[in-house]
Amino acid sequence: MAATDPLSTAADERRFDAATFDPTDSGPKGARWWREVGWRYIVGLLGVAFALMPVYFVVLASVSPVATLSGAQLVPRAVTLDNYRELFDTTPFFTWLWNSIKIAGGAAFANMFLSAMAAYAFARLRFAGRRPGLLTILLVQMFPQLLANGAIFLFLVNISNYFPFMGFGTQLGLFLVYLGGALGTNTWLMKGFFDTVPKELDESALVDGATHGQIFTRIILPLSLPILVVAGLLSFIFLFNEFILASILLGQADANQTLATGLFRFIDQNYGQQWGPFAGGALIGSLPTLLMFLFLQRYIVSGLTAGGVKG
Amino acid sequence: MSNLPGAPVSFADRLADRLGAGSVAGLLLKFLFLGVVNALALYAILTLLPLREWTPLAVVVVATAALDYVYLSKRTLPLKFLLPGTIALLIFQVSPVLYTAYIGFTNYGTGNVLNEQQAIGRIISDSVTVPDDAVRYRSTPLQNDAGDLALLLEDPDGDLFLGTEDGLPLLEEGDIVGEGAARVILDEFRPITLGELGDREAEILAFSVPITGEVVDELDLDLEADAISVQTFNTAAVAVQRLEYDEVTGEIRDLEDGTVYTAVDGTFTAEDGSTLRPGFRDTIGFDNYRRVLTSPAIRGPFFRVFVWTFAFAILSVLTTFVLGLALALALNDPRMKLRRTTRSLLIVPYALPSFMTALIWQGLLNTSFGPINQILGVSIPWLTSQAFAGALPKFSVVLVNLWLGFGYMFLITTGALQAMPEEVKEAARVDGASGWQILRRITLPLLLVAVGPLLIASFAFNFNNFNTVFLLTGGGPPIQGTLTPAGHTDILISFSYRLAFAGGRGQDFGLAAAISTIIFFLVAIFSYIGFKRTAVLEDIN
Repeated sequence: MAATDPLSTAADERRFDAATFDPTDSGPKGARWWREVGWRYIVGLLGVAFALMPVYFVVLASVSPVATLSGAQLVPRAVTLDNYRELFDTTPFFTWLWNSIKIAGGAAFANMFLSAMAAYAFARLRFAGRRPGLLTILLVQMFPQLLANGAIFLFLVNISNYFPFMGFGTQLGLFLVYLGGALGTNTWLMKGFFDTVPKELDESALVDGATHGQIFTRIILPLSLPILVVAGLLSFIFLFNEFILASILLGQADANQTLATGLFRFIDQNYGQQWGPFAGGALIGSLPTLLMFLFLQRYIVSGLTAGGVKG
Repeated sequence: MSNLPGAPVSFADRLADRLGAGSVAGLLLKFLFLGVVNALALYAILTLLPLREWTPLAVVVVATAALDYVYLSKRTLPLKFLLPGTIALLIFQVSPVLYTAYIGFTNYGTGNVLNEQQAIGRIISDSVTVPDDAVRYRSTPLQNDAGDLALLLEDPDGDLFLGTEDGLPLLEEGDIVGEGAARVILDEFRPITLGELGDREAEILAFSVPITGEVVDELDLDLEADAISVQTFNTAAVAVQRLEYDEVTGEIRDLEDGTVYTAVDGTFTAEDGSTLRPGFRDTIGFDNYRRVLTSPAIRGPFFRVFVWTFAFAILSVLTTFVLGLALALALNDPRMKLRRTTRSLLIVPYALPSFMTALIWQGLLNTSFGPINQILGVSIPWLTSQAFAGALPKFSVVLVNLWLGFGYMFLITTGALQAMPEEVKEAARVDGASGWQILRRITLPLLLVAVGPLLIASFAFNFNNFNTVFLLTGGGPPIQGTLTPAGHTDILISFSYRLAFAGGRGQDFGLAAAISTIIFFLVAIFSYIGFKRTAVLEDIN
């Protein structure tokens, strides 16, 4: 696989880009076309091959009649859905998927709202401690929750002593822990966006007797829908992927797991044997984030770069 | 707000205004919210009060009072927006961070889980043993209507005794009425039925009768004994307590040979160095940090992991950025067809859940069965080779992380390239600059300004990229000859996770927390320098 070598594509890229072109020229032909446009197709093709090669293997494995890892081949000889059946029969796969969507989705939505409220205060209100507050949020990000994994574990074990329903081994406990990450990068992202909403809108509303609560819910939030979508989405994807805290806090019950911890336990016990069913689970489990990405691609690009550029 | 035009007039509006709400609907919503908050708080307080758990109680009371005050006062506008997120931040992020820092100064971990009182209790009760020549009794567990436990004891001669938690009261003829399970002793105690047994199992097995009272002489004891302890459900035996805790000196004394154990860093230790288990949680100062720096069994792997963490984070940022940028530049030409489709396909690896892809790659790179080796017809130990300090697994981890991450870099560089003003490049072209010069002197510098902070964030993320490392190699292959679980591809976070949670060698929360604290300072320092250089901190307004 030549495409797996990042340096060769980078070098190719530089060499070819050295050939300058005249942007007013509408359609170069022959050798010139290859020098200016054609090579881009090759680079793109190699990149796509690199990106999709593992996915191809997974799709293949999921429909292969051989469930074990050793049955891999480049071209399928037979297609079967047995692996999917096996997955659904032996694991609570859809319970895991639902747990993941429920916990990550709920926490992402709550985080988005809490973050938007804080961002409104930072963007629109002037108060003592505003700058330190913004810097503190940045600083706390340097210590992500996963670093405090031991402390959070002991913390929830303690909570179990008086509130078992939200302590160690409960999904509510994990959800609440995830809320701790509400104020963070997303707050900065949203503050940057709120700053671009014209202040005159608030001011005229204030004159008309609106409260800040009304300005926030009726003016700022509707106008900031794109950034809310991006922030919520990024938060969802992050939490959907979150492994370390989920594995520590959800306990041992099989039906309690998220997709990440459930599939890990499934495949960790007998790696080679369950490859086919695992591949099937991986494909289905990837659909939620994959679809979101493909449909909301444009928002995500603008959201990511806005967060970086504006600060 | 009442001095503004359009100030509230009706009573309901005035009330709403007085309570800091803009409208009647807003007021109702506010009361609903505060009602739920206060109801939950009341429930929490009523649960915690009887348990005398003062710290969580204080947290609940302060948080609720703060919410009530902030949402009912008119002078707390910024806090109305900041408080909910801040409370979540304080409870679930800041306090675990502070707790982590604290645990880093303790010996919390396997063998030191209990607090001091619990540990002493365990040590003393563990020291109660039954000597080989002890008198053994057949016993029947009893209880009275109040639920107090007692034992009906029958010694080898067939004599019957009653044992209660207070001792051995005199038992005369006629005190036992009835037969078998229907017996009633002293008009009070009756045998525990099989159905009741299950509920009180642990209690019964821990029951012991102090040897006091008028009947002691009748027991025919040959040795100094303190109690008769339950052994199984129907046997009991005379037991001897070997250790004694002295509350005045805080020492534990061996009653047989007189050894004195004093508490040293959470472990009761004798002068000759012998210790009593279990230990207890105790602060041990900078010992964990000292161990990281000086203990050969930890220092060796720690420094290897430390260096590799930096290498991994830097290589990850570099490789993903270079590949992502190269692809973004290549696809940034309007004359190219199918650009949108190609872009969508290129971000597929980034859009897939990373835990999933790490596990998938673990299978693809499997030595004997992995598709990659099978198709190449080789058996390269991608993830397990020990050679050259695990150079091959390290390469594989970086390669997989490149696959996982280049889509992200492609996305952000594409975004930045598209936002770049064409005019600057145009001007350079007119001035006769070559494509290469434009790229080097204009495009790249402008691009780095735009994505610089994201590269720093990416570094900080990869510094703690637990998923890739742990789910791909589990940190392995193991570094030979270390006392801690450490592998060639372990980064600090996976190393610390394995110290805290990996079974087998026991848990060491203290050491793990110390390492987490070290990671924090490293990431904070490097991010600060990075942000300082890119001047992000300057224009916070």
